[in-house]
Amino acid sequence: MPFEQVNGKVVSVPVAPGREVLARRGAMLAYTGQVQFAPVRASAGGMGGMAGRMMAGEQVQMMVAQGQGTVHYGYRGMYLTIIEVGQMGPLTVEADRLVAHDAGLQATLVFLGSQGGIRGAVRGAVSGQGMFTTQLHGYGTAVVLSHGGTIALPVQPGQTTTVDPQAFVAHVGQVNADIALNASWRDAVGRGSGEAIQLKMTGNGTVYVQASEQKI
Amino acid sequence: MQPLDPTSLPDNDNIPGNHYAYCVRLTGQLFMQTGRMIAYYPAPNGPGIRFEPLTTASVSGFVAAQFSAPLYARDWVVATGQGHLILGDRGYDINSYDLGDGNLTLRAANLLAYDATLELKQSIVPGFLTLLGTGKFLASSSGPVIFAEPPIRVDPQALVGWADCPSPSHHYDAGWMSGFLGGAMGMMFGVQSGEERQYDFTGAGTVLLQSSEKTLADPHLVQQLEGQVGALDVPGLSHLQSVIAQRLSSQQQH
Repeated sequence: MPFEQVNGKVVSVPVAPGREVLARRGAMLAYTGQVQFAPVRASAGGMGGMAGRMMAGEQVQMMVAQGQGTVHYGYRGMYLTIIEVGQMGPLTVEADRLVAHDAGLQATLVFLGSQGGIRGAVRGAVSGQGMFTTQLHGYGTAVVLSHGGTIALPVQPGQTTTVDPQAFVAHVGQVNADIALNASWRDAVGRGSGEAIQLKMTGNGTVYVQASEQKI
Repeated sequence: MQPLDPTSLPDNDNIPGNHYAYCVRLTGQLFMQTGRMIAYYPAPNGPGIRFEPLTTASVSGFVAAQFSAPLYARDWVVATGQGHLILGDRGYDINSYDLGDGNLTLRAANLLAYDATLELKQSIVPGFLTLLGTGKFLASSSGPVIFAEPPIRVDPQALVGWADCPSPSHHYDAGWMSGFLGGAMGMMFGVQSGEERQYDFTGAGTVLLQSSEKTLADPHLVQQLEGQVGALDVPGLSHLQSVIAQRLSSQQQH
């Protein structure tokens, strides 16, 4: 595992040729050795993808760290969680919350609407997340942001794990997230409290929630 | 949850089970940054605790002479007396440090208090203060402090301070700065993130790091820059004026 937790708010990672790291712009705290940083453009989806990002407010600029050395990452004193991505399946996280990941992981932008039709779109609007989220495929490690740390809840077949959309941070594995409206449409327009609007997780994997309803 | 008992407060330690509050046992004089004290208990049958600005006549000349950072003078008070003080800062972790005939430079906003045996001076790096001599001081950090040895390059926002003079200098990533993208980004955002500009530490010493913080508006930075304007000549001043006008208009567009 290349990422190492230094403390609750800082991680360190070795960088070497062939082992580049992608991280959110501004997340680099310090580094030793010869490391260069360069911006990367989200090529996935081409121009359409870019436009999508702009529309969704997902304009998070990523920087690639290359060279030889060790880099410390942290972001605005928020808590960091290291998540392994591998056999379990892809990691789904809002781009805002993604701090860093191995360059070996492939990031794609997912339109929530394609995942459960209009309900998915509603989920995006209701949970205060963008209509698009980032999915990471492959084998590697990613680091996500949270307020006050995360708790990992298992999602098992035949059993539904329900979370508050505002406390939702990320999920990994073959997990399907579906919005459940327990209330009238009035709640969907305003800011739901989490009791009325819930995310129902089914499948096999892990969901990470934070101990707060605060966004980044 | 037990309420705090003034008779069993820790002497110079964190409140039990709480990184974010620190209890100081006051036995003489202590320099404190204003707004960081959250509670105090005067010692029973003691003279009580007084907080006085540095300019007050009752603060002796010797003590006042330990403070040579005129820009920050209005932010600091001297606490005198016997008892316990509880300090906190923005929910940041608070740690006590011992300085033994040494020097340490800290971000001004992160220095909470220091013994009157230490000498405080303004660092030549804007927004930082230097402590000299022997004594204890309290500093806050966003998350625990990480101690690192040079050579290291640090995001200015993640820097808490440094000890024993590992000569800081600016480092700009040449490839990034000269690239077209870098120039365009700089124009668009006007701000530099840690990836483009770092403090470069070389030489012997220790560098103190934290997770980066949301920068507070620092009123002293303006004063410090203003103080340096005096050294400029007419072309310099008019250049600065045009730079500021440009920044202002781009800020107002957003």
